[in-house]
Amino acid sequence: MNCAVQTTSPPSAVTENIYLPKVAVLDRVSDDIPEVKTFYWHFEDAAEQAQFKRFRPGQFAQVSLFGIGEFPASLPPSPTEDETFFTIREVGSCTTALHELKPGEKFAVRGPYGNGFSMEDYYGKNLVFVAGGIGLIPLRSCIVYALKHRDKYQRIQIFYGSKTPNELMYLSNLREWQQSAGVECYLTVDRAADSWSGNVGVVGSLFKKPGVHVPVDNTIAFVCGPPIMFRFVIKDLLAMGFREGDIVSTLERYMKCGVGKCGHCCIGVAYVCVDGPVFTYAQIKKLGEDI
Amino acid sequence: MKARMLERADVLKIVDLLRQQGYEVFAPFSGRGRDTWFDLVTDENRERIQVHLPNPYYAPKRFVLPHIERLLKIQRSDGEIRIEPTYRERKRAIFGIRSCDLAGIWHLDRFYLGRDFRDVYYEKRRQNLFLMNLVCTDPERDIGEECFCPCADTGPAARDHFDLQLLDLGDEFMAVAGTPAGEALFSQPMFKPGTQAQVEKRHAILGEVRKRFKTTTSWFPATVRYVSQGTILEKTWEEIGNRCLECGGCTYVCPACTCFTVSDRQVGPDEIERVRIWDSCALSGFTRMAGGFNPRRAVHDRRNRRFFRKLAHYFIQRELSMACVGCGRCAAVCHGDVGMPSVVEMIRRATAANDKLEPV
Repeated sequence: MNCAVQTTSPPSAVTENIYLPKVAVLDRVSDDIPEVKTFYWHFEDAAEQAQFKRFRPGQFAQVSLFGIGEFPASLPPSPTEDETFFTIREVGSCTTALHELKPGEKFAVRGPYGNGFSMEDYYGKNLVFVAGGIGLIPLRSCIVYALKHRDKYQRIQIFYGSKTPNELMYLSNLREWQQSAGVECYLTVDRAADSWSGNVGVVGSLFKKPGVHVPVDNTIAFVCGPPIMFRFVIKDLLAMGFREGDIVSTLERYMKCGVGKCGHCCIGVAYVCVDGPVFTYAQIKKLGEDI
Repeated sequence: MKARMLERADVLKIVDLLRQQGYEVFAPFSGRGRDTWFDLVTDENRERIQVHLPNPYYAPKRFVLPHIERLLKIQRSDGEIRIEPTYRERKRAIFGIRSCDLAGIWHLDRFYLGRDFRDVYYEKRRQNLFLMNLVCTDPERDIGEECFCPCADTGPAARDHFDLQLLDLGDEFMAVAGTPAGEALFSQPMFKPGTQAQVEKRHAILGEVRKRFKTTTSWFPATVRYVSQGTILEKTWEEIGNRCLECGGCTYVCPACTCFTVSDRQVGPDEIERVRIWDSCALSGFTRMAGGFNPRRAVHDRRNRRFFRKLAHYFIQRELSMACVGCGRCAAVCHGDVGMPSVVEMIRRATAANDKLEPV
């Protein structure tokens, strides 16, 4: 057995400590939508920053707050962008502590972890992004990445919906995508105020709008959003003729380690942290647990 | 592997030898009734070490994966944060570890060291650990009501993964070395070469001991197949779930359970420590996320999860051994009688009953 431990064996080459986070500095904070903020940060150590920047879209990191604990967070930036940031909803003790942090203050990060989206495998395909609410956070990375490598992909479509117009994430990005020639970006909200001139309805309603044509052949659909939205969008996509293996999503689970040891995120035969968080719908169906 | 012989009176000299070599030696002791435990050997308690006794419920897994272990020391001063890992690198030996628990540690080795990410805390404890296995041969004292290692194929005599193994032949003990560290002890004059007759006696004793196990119907292969294929009815999981009191006892005594939670605790005004603590999939908070969403709400979902993780073919192949070693502790501590042997039997019977044919 190659990994058998022998009492007499010489100490192996120094094993990296997988639980050791590195100190990071908060640069600035921007308000996105109610309860959600974006935190721009960098590692204290430049070498650490350079190494971290090799992450892939869809991967995540473990964020440590002094005295509170650690939580997993998606990486919304694309590796092609300069800045590193998290977009976090205030929902538990750790995220609340992060929301209270002031620019210049320190916390700690380790990662990146997980499989991420295999964006290179999708070269030559159409990309359809379907997001609901803060489900846009992990997909933002892929969208920015795909637009940076625009010539590698065929059509790129974005369907994004939120409850109300002021709960639309990444407004400046959305405007940019709406104006960009290389991408079709459709927005919708569940409930609108008078000032909203766009579509009203669930995300799925965008697929049937006049003038919208979703390519099905040679297409990868990225779906991310709240459980109820996820279920309906999957139904719509399957009805349109998408294959289960061509629909990809990213799962979230309670995690303590991020490296396949603590056991909390294990569903079916998969540890979400190392075998995921990105799975095809065909895989998700087999795992057999609620999204 | 070569067999050596050791006088009955010399057995504890192994403990002395290991202590002289700088090991902290842990050995089994017994109190009243079923109360047994592993404790640090000192000059004072050395004479009370027990060779044959019921296997302690608190498994020696804790010497590689303590139930609470500090991972990091984190200090804050003037806005700076200093994070420092803390390791324990003391040489330790376990005298009298049973074959089932040995299989448990081997299973943990695959899990903590054999995957993409190696766990450095586990590795440091494991590298410094000397394992002296004692084969359960006394049907009265060694073999409990719930023991079922022959079903899990881990005992009564471990075939591998020990540094040194002792088997009681009656008047004397047969010693076998599993690693160079164990073999090194054979240079001591108290170890004499074994004879063919003694090796045969060992075979005879083991053959006899196998017949003395009370729980022998935990037939895993069928259950592993049903679990892996997902052919077990939801109704069966519900029956198992209904009997689970959600105490988590099975996971805390299990020598092959690996799950832990991580917690930060304040130890000074500007100092905290990050510790990992055994966790249990039987508890409802195990999968509850911030915000309250819990993908695994029902108790039978959680039981399903535990047995799937232990018995699914995928994981057996991944870790090269089943996450059940047949020690019987879960069966002994479970108030609802849904320890491993019962569950294996319930699943097998329910699935068999399911395919009754109707006469036309």
